[in-house]
Amino acid sequence: MYKEAKDTTPLFATKNYLIIDDFQGMRTMMREMLRIFGGKNIDAAANASEAMSLLEKNRYDVVLCDYNLGSGKNGLQILEESKLRNLTGLATSWIIITAEKTSDLVFGAAEFMPDDYIIKPVNEAMMKGRLEKVLAKKDVLINVEKAVRAKHYPLTVALCDKLLAGPQTNTVELLRIKTSTLITMGKYDQAEEVFNQILAKRDIPWARTGLGKVAFYRGDMEGAQRLLNEVIRDNPAYLEAHDWLVQVHEATGNLDEAQNVLARSVELSPTSVIRQKNLGEMAQKRGDLETAATAFRKTIKLGEHSIHKAPSTYLNLAKVCSDKGTPAEALQVLKSVTHEFEGAKIRLHAKVMEGSVYAKSGDHNNALKLSKELAAITSNNNTHLPPELMLEATQLFLATGNKEAASGMAKALVKNNHENSKLLEQVNELYSQAGMQEIGAELVSTSREEVIDSNNRAVIMAKEGQLADAIELLREARTLLPDNKRIMINLANIAVLSMRQNGTNDDLLQVSKECLKRVTEIDPQEKWCAQMQAAIEALVPQGTI
Amino acid sequence: MNHKEATPDISAFLASAIHDMKNSVCVLMSFLNDNITQLDPEAQRTAAPMLYEVERVNDNLLQMLAIYKVGKQFYPFDLSENSVDQFIAEINNKSKTLLDYLQIELDIECEPELQWYFDYELVTGVISHALHNASHYTKDKLKILVKEIDGQLEIRVEDNGNGFPPCVIEAGDAIKKGVDFASGSTGLGLYFSSMVAKLHTNRDKTGSIQLENGGTYGGGCFVLRLP
Repeated sequence: MYKEAKDTTPLFATKNYLIIDDFQGMRTMMREMLRIFGGKNIDAAANASEAMSLLEKNRYDVVLCDYNLGSGKNGLQILEESKLRNLTGLATSWIIITAEKTSDLVFGAAEFMPDDYIIKPVNEAMMKGRLEKVLAKKDVLINVEKAVRAKHYPLTVALCDKLLAGPQTNTVELLRIKTSTLITMGKYDQAEEVFNQILAKRDIPWARTGLGKVAFYRGDMEGAQRLLNEVIRDNPAYLEAHDWLVQVHEATGNLDEAQNVLARSVELSPTSVIRQKNLGEMAQKRGDLETAATAFRKTIKLGEHSIHKAPSTYLNLAKVCSDKGTPAEALQVLKSVTHEFEGAKIRLHAKVMEGSVYAKSGDHNNALKLSKELAAITSNNNTHLPPELMLEATQLFLATGNKEAASGMAKALVKNNHENSKLLEQVNELYSQAGMQEIGAELVSTSREEVIDSNNRAVIMAKEGQLADAIELLREARTLLPDNKRIMINLANIAVLSMRQNGTNDDLLQVSKECLKRVTEIDPQEKWCAQMQAAIEALVPQGTI
Repeated sequence: MNHKEATPDISAFLASAIHDMKNSVCVLMSFLNDNITQLDPEAQRTAAPMLYEVERVNDNLLQMLAIYKVGKQFYPFDLSENSVDQFIAEINNKSKTLLDYLQIELDIECEPELQWYFDYELVTGVISHALHNASHYTKDKLKILVKEIDGQLEIRVEDNGNGFPPCVIEAGDAIKKGVDFASGSTGLGLYFSSMVAKLHTNRDKTGSIQLENGGTYGGGCFVLRLP
């Protein structure tokens, strides 16, 4: 009753294979299977580092990768890193072989999911069937994946629709890609319609989660919370719903619940560096210093071999240790960050934190020494510090009596973040603590007004049709305040307006794209980004972005 | 300091032990498969039950781990749309060697082009286990029958053996009536299968299992229904 299988030996013979497994017996067995199917070029690696160096050298069509590789990276982390580093192309089929199904394997971030996973034990006939299925699926989806990777949103949706109208294969996958693209484009009504059509037939967790996402983006936090909680009630291990619920709680200021949900998601995906880091940051924000310290230590340990290894985790851990009165560990962590990472920027960041640790622990001599060093380095205003470190530096300058350096730092902080009321409050707070409440309030309000003023001037110019002047003004402002979101948004908007009237030009296109990129980095939740992406795409003919 | 040895948390070992054992089972199976092929037919028939035993070990490992993880709310229950054709073909692929050596004929009757929502791995576990079990009690024939009835997917595993003894049928009925069977009296396999069936819900409908005698060959029948 089954269709007569066609000979797939020639198909298997042309592919390059990589087997990753720490168990010699399994490597031999899989190699033998691939040979029987017709495979010729077969490499094997016994651990993550061998695998990474082979992936750096060769392009593979098929990767068969064990999930649990003992110490170091697991199979999913190898996949993630090779995707992020572009070591595997869109045409690579990645299959994870695992002893058990885990949440991070099934419900993790879609862009880092394997093409398929196989639960052990594997036998020849089953492996062959799966490989044929995955290769066929790759064939169908390759163009869609290309469009996704190129951020070609309308094209992605069109390709999905075309395939969905054809024979019923990969329907769910296509619907998932289509809806997530619609959400990225800001077309919430259309995404909602698709989700509702699916849910009318059957209660599917990802579609319900999708409705939760739509509600979140529309600002309906109550609805989002209800939908996501329903998903979790019925599917307690559904990781994606947890991730979104954290964002909902964060957006509504319910940080206690956000931390609870994060703690659960960390339990569900014990090897996830990012979730562990998010837990640390959330606990730190709430002042739960013990949880924060534990989470950051775990983040560092888990991330040791990972692409997510980042200096910011070390700096956060140092701050947490300093805040909870263990300066010795803080200084130890700061020492290791300069060992683990190279570069003047990291050394500067570590120095700011070091000064702050000394100041807080009452080591006035060392605090003063570092305060002087930092004042010299940052006096030219060209040093780029993240907002949290600018706060630390301001506090250190104030504590060591360097009012001039403190005010320079505080002004830069306020001007770059003039709409971030929480940060402004923190600056006020620092000055109050130093007994200079009035000076602080004055500094914050004048710096803030200066930025608002130049923004307003630019907007008025634009309204009066003086687009070129408005762009010029905002470009200058952006050079001085490279991280100010409002300036970048206005600049990109006016640049796009100007291109609509006068035709596209490379310079303005470049500026708009830069602003879009930076705003997305600073605030991934900013809804403006989807609109700007669409506006830029509309300006440039398809296929040239 | 309290020097009393603490009771170890066995669950901490469970998952890692199963990971390890699965590798061994994998290699053992592949060895048996390869080497039984080289034997003459008579020797093959005597060696084949070893393959059955290994399958049993594997079924039990899988069931224990799944029950543990579902109980702890850690099992990533994944209700995805699957091609029933391909699913049954894979079950056939998995069991083919064993059944060939045991000289059991497997007939498959599956409604074509059927798509259904279920957790692929769990239902694979249930049907493979039913098939392994039936292969032990059948004379020489097995049948897998798949069709959609009243909005439910029905998968039947039928054999031409002597059928289930009354106590097993009763255990099956007890499960249907919702009698508490966590006492362990009903055995791991039945508990697992029933748990998997109950995890599958659609609106107000819930999956179920049933044991009966009769069917195509008049032997034992295992029935799984998924809404």
